[in-house]
Formats: sequence, structure tokens, C-alpha cells
Amino acid sequence: MSIEVKNLIKTFADKTVINDVSFKVQDGETLAIVGFSGSGKSTILKLICGLIKQDSGEIITSDGDIAMVFQYSALFDSLNIADNISFALHERRDLRNKYTEQEISKIVTEKLALVGLKGIEKQFPSELSGGMQKRVSFARAIVTEPNTILYDEPTSGLDPISSTLIEDYIVRLKEETQAASIVVTHQMSTITRTADRVIMLYDGKIVFEGTPQDMLKQDNEYTKQFVTASLEGPMRMMA
Amino acid sequence: MSNLQKYYKQSATYKIFTGIIGACNDFLDTLGKITQNGIDFFKCILKRQINSTDLVEQCNRFGITSLPITLSIVGMTSIIVASQVALEMVKQGGGNFVGMLMTILIVREVGVIMSGFALISMIGSSMASELATMRVTEQIDAIKVLQVNPIRYLFVPRVLSGFIMMPFVTIIASTVGVLAGAVTAKFSADLSFRAFFDSMWLGIYMKDLWVSLLKAFVFGGVIALISCSCGYYASGGAKGVGLATTKAVVWSFVAIVILDMIFALAFFF
Repeated sequence: MSIEVKNLIKTFADKTVINDVSFKVQDGETLAIVGFSGSGKSTILKLICGLIKQDSGEIITSDGDIAMVFQYSALFDSLNIADNISFALHERRDLRNKYTEQEISKIVTEKLALVGLKGIEKQFPSELSGGMQKRVSFARAIVTEPNTILYDEPTSGLDPISSTLIEDYIVRLKEETQAASIVVTHQMSTITRTADRVIMLYDGKIVFEGTPQDMLKQDNEYTKQFVTASLEGPMRMMA
Repeated sequence: MSNLQKYYKQSATYKIFTGIIGACNDFLDTLGKITQNGIDFFKCILKRQINSTDLVEQCNRFGITSLPITLSIVGMTSIIVASQVALEMVKQGGGNFVGMLMTILIVREVGVIMSGFALISMIGSSMASELATMRVTEQIDAIKVLQVNPIRYLFVPRVLSGFIMMPFVTIIASTVGVLAGAVTAKFSADLSFRAFFDSMWLGIYMKDLWVSLLKAFVFGGVIALISCSCGYYASGGAKGVGLATTKAVVWSFVAIVILDMIFALAFFF
């Protein structure tokens, strides 16, 4: 088991964003978390990687690193691509003196090749397209060889072809690293192409848990509304 | 009763009262965060967690790139003051003390405080907006997820450069200020350089010099710490970056005026 979330509760001001959520993700498995905007999907990722603290509940993770791919890549715009990818190797206390500069350079080249990019080490994030920035952020995430990778809306804002490319890399990284992955997404193509299991959140609670195929069967009124993008159904958008 | 409460909540008294409480809460919250970051900064320093490359880069930014504007502001302030007082003092027979007056004024106050103001507006605001942009674009979250201490990576080189470089900036700015005062006195009141520089040392003691350097040291660190802290806790996109920058500038201005008053009371009262 790589991640286990037990009875998680998180409240912001007076609103309970995550309300008694529990799930597990095994090594080498990809879980998709879906739901409307504001349903608490990204909050779960931030809780798992420790950016915010839960009010109650437990998050148990295996030993090893947790990596996160941010929605808008979050590359360091003052650093070039090589420095972005090697950031943790240069700055993290336990890794700072572990590798020589030649080794770091080799690791950077390897990770860039893994996401299909070559020869962009000296470029800056602002010189790359959104899809390329996203792939660089994948490379940065896997540089510490994490056993858990979290993806926050990895295909948002990308054209369909770039989205497919990113989805392929999510699958490829899972196969290469055997990491447990959680993908937060709105997009059905990302769910069907990358996920082994899906949970759907509404109003801070899990309203569906199953495989992508189960989701497409539409025998759950919540998933039916989500898949058909219907305004009619149990879920109401906040005005 | 509920109607009464409803009307009370709509009243000006209630709104003013809750506004004051909110402002006090915000003030204490910001002060607490700055203090906490200051403590974390000193912990990193004690553990010698300093990246020398980043420190050199920030020292260059704090001390070198800011120099033209700092020297201009201190120099022009000296010209303004000298043009106001030199002629009048010469007329009243106090020409021999113009150099002393200008030097006391520049070394004790104008050099350090005007340098502080220049650095707040130029470097402090840029530090705050830089960190605020990093916050709203999730770059600071990325630093944390990569398990790098953001205080060590972001605060240590910036705040340390403030402590180190501000005394140097103040020395150069004060020198330029005194020279500007001498030139202005020469042209506005026909006061010779010799008369100006002979009286320069009459009112200046070693204590004035080291208090001035101590003030510069403290001001530099405080400006950088406040600016970084305000940027670090920004939220809410472009508007949040603007608000954080404004907050950094206002807090830094107020802080160095308060600190200057404390120094004046502690050393010259």
C-alpha cells in the first residue's frame, strides 16, 4: 500500500470541503479523483503532500518521496529548465552532496528524454509551450524517484493532442516508476486513458467509487450527470 | 431580539467596531508571521544554511543595483537641506557651522533613513512582488513539495543581503550627501569648502558613526524580512500580488520610522 486516507475532514472558514473521505491507492495503481470545481479534489492532493493540514483523519504513506505535478506546472521562472529539474538535487538537504555536477547533468538529460524533450536544458520556462512546461514539470517531479505522484489537473488548458501526449506520459511514468498515482481531473479522456480506479467527490464526500468502465455505465446518478454533462441531476453548481 | 441584532449589525457603530477589530487582527497576524519568519531565518543562519551563490546575487541586487537611485535621493535631499539653511546661517554669522550641521544631519539621519526609503521602494517592493508571484503561481508550494526549506532558499539570501549591504549603501550615500551639501553651500551661500569641511568634525563623534551603521544594519535586515514575509503570504492572483507589495512598502516604511525613533531615544535622548 502506498497511500491510505482515513476519515479525512478539512474545513475552510465555515465550509467543510472534505467530509469524511477514505480511500487507498496501491503501488503501481492510478486513482482518478473527479468532481465539479470546488468539490475538494485539489484540497485532497494538498493534504496528501502536506501543503495544508487536515482537521481530522489520517493520511498514511509508504516511506519515500511524494511528488506533485501542479495545474499550471509551477516551474521556477527565474531558473532554466536544467536548474528546474535538478532543483531538489541541488537544494534538498539530504540530496545536496549526493551527486556530482556531471551526474546531475546526466540525470537531467535522462528525465527530459523520458518526457520526450531534448536539448532544452538552457531554455527558460517562459520560452516553452504549455504542454512542454507540463512535461518539464513531470521531469522535475520524478527526479527524486518518488513512490507517489500526484497530478493536479494535468491536461487543463491544453489542446486535445497535447492532452493525449500528457496522458500517455502519465501511463508511461507509472510503468517506469511503479509509483502510486493520483490524478485530479475533469476530463473523461484522462480518466479512461490513465486511471485504474475512479472516485467522484461531491460536496466533500465520495459519491462514486469504481473503475472507469463502471463510471461509463452510468448506473450511478452522480456519474451519469457528470458523464453526460447534464444540468439535471443530484449535483448543483454553486451560484 | 433577532430584529434588534439585525439592525445593530447594519449600524455604523457595528461596522466601525468590526472594522477596527479586523484591522487589529490583521496587524497582529502579520506581525506574528514576520516574527516567526525572523526566528526561522536566524535558525537557518545558526545552522549555516547559506547558499553563497544566491547570497552574492542578492547582495548585488540589494547593494549595487540600488545604488544609483539611493545616491540620487540622498544627494538631492542634501542639496535641498543645504540650499535652505546655508545662506541663512551665513547671513546670521553661523557660516562656520554649516558643515557641522549638515554632517550631523546626514550621518545621523538623512543618509540612513533616506537610503532606507530608497531601498524599500526599489528593492523591498521587488522582493515582495517576486515572492508574491511565486506564491500565487504555486512555485512556493512546489518548493515545499520538493522538500526544500523555503525560508532557507528564499529568505536567507535576501534578508542576509539586507543586513550586509545596507551599511555599505549608507556609508556611500552619506559621503555623497555631505559632498552634495558642501557643493550646494559653496554655490548658494558662497561658503568655501575649507569652511565647510573644517567645521564638519565639530559635531560628529565615533558614537554617531557606529550608531548610524548599526541602524543601517538593522534597517536593511528588517526591510528585507518584512518585504519577503509580505510577499510570502500573498494570496489571490494579480490583486494579491499588488496588495502584498503595497503592504510590504507600508509596513517597511512604518517599521523603519519606529525603529529610527527607538534608536534616537536610546542613543541621543
